[in-house]
Amino acid sequence: MKTLRFDRRSIMRGVLRGGAAVALGIPTLDMFLDGNGAALANGRPMPVRFGTYFWGLGLTDTPQGTRWVPTKTGHGYEITPELESIRALKDKVSVFSGFRAIGDGKPNLVHWSGLAAIASGSAPGATNTMDSPSFDTIVADAIGQSTRFRSLDMSASGKPLSNSTYTGKAFATPEVSPLALYERLFGDGFQDPNNPDWKPDSRVMLRQSVLSAVKDQRDALAADVGKADRIKLDQYYTSVREMEKQLALQLEKPEYNAACLIPEKPEADKRGASIEVVNENSKTMARLLAMALVCNQTRVFNFVHTAGASETYLAGDSKIYHQYSHDEPTDAKLGYQINTSRLAGAVMQGFGDFLTELDAVEEGDRTVLDNSIIMAYSDTGYAKIHSLENIPMLLAGGAGGRHKAGQHIHTTGEPVTRVSLTAMQLAGAPVGEFGMGAMKTSSAVTEVLA
Amino acid sequence: MTKLVQGVRKYGLLAAAACAASGAMITHARLPAASPTLEGPVKVAARRVTESQYRNIIADTFGDWVQVNARFEPERRQDGLLAIGSTQLSITPVGFEQYYGAARSISDQVLSEGRRATTVPCTPRDAEQADDACAATFLRSYGERLFRRPLTEAQIDARLATARKGEDFYDGLELALTSLLIAPEFLFRIEVAEPDPSGAARLDGFTKASRIAFLMWDTGPDAELLAAAKSGALDTPEGLQRQVARLQASPRLADGVRAFFTDMLQLDAFEGLTKDASIYPKFSQTVADSAREETLRTVVDQLVTRNRDYRDLFVTRETWLNRSLAAVYKVPFVSQEEWAPYTFPEESGRSGLLTQVTFLSLFSHPGSSSPTKRGVKLYEIFFAQPTPDPPADVDFSKVQASSEGTVRMRLIEHMTNEGCAACHSVSDPVGLALEHFDSLGQVRMLEDGKPIDVSAVLNGKQVSGAQGVGQFMRDNPRVPATLVRNIYYYGVGRGFDERDETFFEQEAQAFAAAGYKVPALFGQIATSPYFMKVVIPSGAKPVPARPEQVATRHSADSRRGAAR
Repeated sequence: MKTLRFDRRSIMRGVLRGGAAVALGIPTLDMFLDGNGAALANGRPMPVRFGTYFWGLGLTDTPQGTRWVPTKTGHGYEITPELESIRALKDKVSVFSGFRAIGDGKPNLVHWSGLAAIASGSAPGATNTMDSPSFDTIVADAIGQSTRFRSLDMSASGKPLSNSTYTGKAFATPEVSPLALYERLFGDGFQDPNNPDWKPDSRVMLRQSVLSAVKDQRDALAADVGKADRIKLDQYYTSVREMEKQLALQLEKPEYNAACLIPEKPEADKRGASIEVVNENSKTMARLLAMALVCNQTRVFNFVHTAGASETYLAGDSKIYHQYSHDEPTDAKLGYQINTSRLAGAVMQGFGDFLTELDAVEEGDRTVLDNSIIMAYSDTGYAKIHSLENIPMLLAGGAGGRHKAGQHIHTTGEPVTRVSLTAMQLAGAPVGEFGMGAMKTSSAVTEVLA
Repeated sequence: MTKLVQGVRKYGLLAAAACAASGAMITHARLPAASPTLEGPVKVAARRVTESQYRNIIADTFGDWVQVNARFEPERRQDGLLAIGSTQLSITPVGFEQYYGAARSISDQVLSEGRRATTVPCTPRDAEQADDACAATFLRSYGERLFRRPLTEAQIDARLATARKGEDFYDGLELALTSLLIAPEFLFRIEVAEPDPSGAARLDGFTKASRIAFLMWDTGPDAELLAAAKSGALDTPEGLQRQVARLQASPRLADGVRAFFTDMLQLDAFEGLTKDASIYPKFSQTVADSAREETLRTVVDQLVTRNRDYRDLFVTRETWLNRSLAAVYKVPFVSQEEWAPYTFPEESGRSGLLTQVTFLSLFSHPGSSSPTKRGVKLYEIFFAQPTPDPPADVDFSKVQASSEGTVRMRLIEHMTNEGCAACHSVSDPVGLALEHFDSLGQVRMLEDGKPIDVSAVLNGKQVSGAQGVGQFMRDNPRVPATLVRNIYYYGVGRGFDERDETFFEQEAQAFAAAGYKVPALFGQIATSPYFMKVVIPSGAKPVPARPEQVATRHSADSRRGAAR
């Protein structure tokens, strides 16, 4: 085989005005991979992608029994009714049960405290705020610098929901429609790595100068502002830098990447919040996302299936999931809420479909899912009582071989932050400790670490 | 009039000046404490402009032919208003991409070959070359409208450097204009305080101009307002009053009133509103957009065009309909116009804002109405009375058997269950009285074949149905008092502060005395000393003045120096 030169742009450090160093990654090509697709031929590991997946209202636990926690722990756990949708991918998914969010004396803010604890590591003081940055931003800072988008946010139920925040107050703005997601990823500004006629667009440099005029004024603008406004302006300038990075990438010829195929444009958006529509959106978004990952557009993503107090419903049924979860009586014979559990299963179908899309796209002799680690989590354990105990969490994907997947890990009341920390470490983020107060932890769930 | 002006001068009474605009005597509360002192100008706030403000500024600056194609980032509600919550928001990478795309498109349109002859106020010496003088003229004139204050020399110089990189003069100008349109000075409302001659802090003239323009017209200051800021006229009560009266008398006040009610009535909730198509097949995006417009047309028609009593909004049966709404309301639509006024008959059971499709459908579930949601929102929006979250560990085991009968039967349990009762006994009665309207706002008298009971006891009084609720709202003094508060919070971008209570009491009294007229209330609030109150945020410090800057401030161009 011809010797391929890798060093030139394996890491290109472009020092941009303002001093931000940007490492430009390289798209992958099958022949650069070693035999099993786990690493590039030069020994550098395949990039691991990190994702979060959120769904609302937990899964069903009642005093009489559970509809989701497997009885068997370790490898080879059995599929429970509400986990039916992951049956085919069971060996690529680890299930975590018995973990809890600890309030540290703060009130249980319904449909918020649990998810905020998992995402930020601290019990929040107020609904819709977090007291620390969310964990995906820590990962994005570590592994999301070299791609066109530092991270990608999506929401499938039509509402702009996101649990991703740097400041704890302002949250990321997600794409809420598959069509808009397609345009953002593959529309204007997308560089087709397989375009033989690639030429740098001379206009890009002019666009860079548009940004530099704004940056030149930064000091004058920020010199006399208060603390809160300084945070806002800092965030604004971070966004300016992100745009600079995108423009810089447009001046670089993208490496040939046979696996990167521009996906089919989705049809017009379907409006609605019924579970059928949300699941269909999830599937379409996952299909686009899978190709965005292959085409190296991003390495970090956040996906929100439904809100905490989920308003999804079965078409034709006048009650929403949230209403059912609270109002529906527990069936005396079966020991659980029948409709609530049916909805939980339908909601999890969205997750199964999502993973299936990522597993359908191959990279070397692995799939995109194998090269990713996705942490799925919810806001509550047993939703009827807004329980912060036993909040369901799952880790899906092989993390490029780092994740010993396919296990059920059960604890009795360990903090949820242990799983968040594990996910960050599987993604390759240099994080040794996560969480605050009683949820502060430095012990990842080592059973799943290779 | 001359006498009045003399009275104003003699006694320094702003109240007398307000009289000229509103026809009522107003005694504004005085600020409880003296303003802080300042050594030099300091930035006291940075608030992201809203989507409608952005669009209005672009249309005012360049003309309404400019297309703005962008998706704006969602705002955030706090204490009932987006205007309060959004003060904490910045611009995310996703948002910036959108602003950047919009800026490129706007610049391209403004400097297109067909437009540049009218949009560029000068002719370059050579269109193939950069021309700093002409470019600076262009940037100064548009920059002042976009930034809502004159540009500093440094701000101009940075753009001239960009313009020189263009392939020709107009290309360079396009880049420079794009740079103005993505600048934080355009995308954020940056408010500046400065020392008055005695050293006490006051908002600078341009900040005052922006506050009143955004409140009253939902856009940046026009040329006259900017001139008043520059001349120092806005630093005097008379000058400020004159400009407020001008804005209040303009038809554009309707834009300000529309924007305010869009925020207060939470019409942003239409984003992503869905109904189950198998239960409500008539619901569509067109119906949602029409309902929003119906509400805003009613508000503007009643409150601005006809200058009616605010409280009548809750009892009027007059509204505006188009064809698709008429189908939802099941009434004939005979007009040739797109929109036509319509008065519901008495027996329709309808009563003002609360029985429009907007309120009824926004605060319902996708497949059913929700007395609790409606009640919670009614108190939150019109009484500024938020409902706490339900207790996390509430025992729902008794709240059962909801599959049969009416929703009232289920909610009775909430109202008698300890732990639920404190909130549900407030929110539910008023919501249950609106139960003759389903999740889409259509009349229904039965639920599961059983007649719906719409009686309720509100504040100890027995009422029946939506008309009873409407009358309860009309007669409750807290409803207009809440409007006063909200307009103030909306304008200043700050929420509750107990030191403002005396002010609110007096303003509410003045609102009542003047017959609850909303245009006058906008003017009344805009001219109150509270509206221009300076709050220095933590960490904000003036930049020590350098000698050359001090010199500039005494030059003929002194306002520009002070604006830095």
